[in-house]
Amino acid sequence: MRKIYLISTVVFWILVGGFWLAGLSAPKTLAETETPVQKGYTLTDVAAHATPNNCWMAIHGKVYDVTAYLPDHPSRPEIIETWCGREASLAYDTKTKGRRHSETADRLLEGYFIGELK
Amino acid sequence: MRDLAKLSVPILVLSFVAALVFWAYPDGGAPARQIGIMLGWAGCGMLLASLVLVLREPRLAALLGGLENMYAWHHRLGMTAYIMLLAHPLLLAGASLPKAPREAWELLSPFSESWPVWTGWLSLLLLMSGLGATFAPRLRYQIRRPVHAALAVAVLAGLVHLVLLGIDEPVTPILVISSALLAWRFIREDWGIGASPYVVRSVARVSPNTVEVSLAPLGEAIAAKPGQFALIAFQSTRRFKGCREFHPFTVSSVDGVSGFRIAVKALGDCTRNIQAVEPGVPARVQGAFGEFLAESTPAPQYWIAGGVGITPFLSLLRAGKVDRSTTLIYLYRSETDALFVDELGAIAATQPKLTLLLRATGDGPIDPESVLPAGKEIGKGEFWLCGPPPMTKTFAHFLRTRGVTYRRMHFENFGPL
Repeated sequence: MRKIYLISTVVFWILVGGFWLAGLSAPKTLAETETPVQKGYTLTDVAAHATPNNCWMAIHGKVYDVTAYLPDHPSRPEIIETWCGREASLAYDTKTKGRRHSETADRLLEGYFIGELK
Repeated sequence: MRDLAKLSVPILVLSFVAALVFWAYPDGGAPARQIGIMLGWAGCGMLLASLVLVLREPRLAALLGGLENMYAWHHRLGMTAYIMLLAHPLLLAGASLPKAPREAWELLSPFSESWPVWTGWLSLLLLMSGLGATFAPRLRYQIRRPVHAALAVAVLAGLVHLVLLGIDEPVTPILVISSALLAWRFIREDWGIGASPYVVRSVARVSPNTVEVSLAPLGEAIAAKPGQFALIAFQSTRRFKGCREFHPFTVSSVDGVSGFRIAVKALGDCTRNIQAVEPGVPARVQGAFGEFLAESTPAPQYWIAGGVGITPFLSLLRAGKVDRSTTLIYLYRSETDALFVDELGAIAATQPKLTLLLRATGDGPIDPESVLPAGKEIGKGEFWLCGPPPMTKTFAHFLRTRGVTYRRMHFENFGPL
């Protein structure tokens, strides 16, 4: 068992190092490489996309199509799905008591940006 | 029945882990992410099950195939869970790696500004150090044991990680149950609140480094049988320094309601202290545990004992007559290390079915062939082994080469509990 522990721990740290190097060598995030779309939407437009299969959200004046991201969200599906088709800034800013989503989440969100909120 | 009880642990754990994974099975997302989530839940389930397996309750132990079986599964589950939980964040991050390597690293990075990630890392690092301490034989026991106990905090940190991810159902009740199990183990068992109070009645020296201690109950006596062991913590008095923690000792004599005896050889700090124990020293006792010598077949019996490993056999001999062909092979390094040989000789003289073979082995390794009968006879026997691990390993290897299956070999095997 000791051998298994040592091998698995060393492999883990090598892979963590690999992720770090891969992240370091990647020049831009997915969000940054995407061409920004400058289209405008109203909250009525957003409300038309209120299902898990077609889920838009308005957060801090921007509209995001997060349909593809929903299965990847770490929490229970109901927590994020209730915000489909809605202005979700409050939910975004209060992930845990008084604490907003992380900067990593901000960058991740940018990848799903589809336009400004009119 | 005994085999069924031994299988109860894997069956129960498998059912519990399968239920958790089924509940948490993600509908969509990349396959690497789905596998990562399932491994996280499976690892979590195994760690929770391993918490139940550290409870030292005689009734629970009987249901789950004995304390040794529970501890063997505790170790197996801990190791499997560790590998699964190492793979969990790597697979979650790996799902994003082909498309967005920087985001993959940010998901994994402990430098992310995120409590769920921090608690996940805390849990993983505590698991890593707790298991690392277990596998570091050179680390002092006084350090190794508390670092190993930090694994309990790792489990709680892992559950908090899930709650912070918004998965409060069913994690919150699991968190409460886990805290209760840990409190049970630490307060009732490690502090000895659930243990039976005993007092040292008498102490007899049986060799220069071994004493036989007789313990009398101050309340209800534990139900000890020959071949079993009890966990005992000797308390400190003005003249005696107790070890403050529970150590396993094999019962050398079952004296009914008036108590039991144990033989203690000075092998470490605690057992060295016990050499000076006196009548009147209070002790707390948990048990009794173990199934060594509990069930035997009508086949010829071979009892192979090394050094202080004679105690389970002695307790059975002291309890009554030998009703089937039994050969007791007692091995010791030198005459000064031999324990209870006069008494064993006296018992053998009154038991026609018992053959006693005493052998001083010296410092070199023992050749099993020199003490076991030649020919095919031993292939029909049932073997019970208790002694230093190199000795039992040598005999087990030899017996395998002579066609004895592991099913017909029994070991008394308990480590630090």
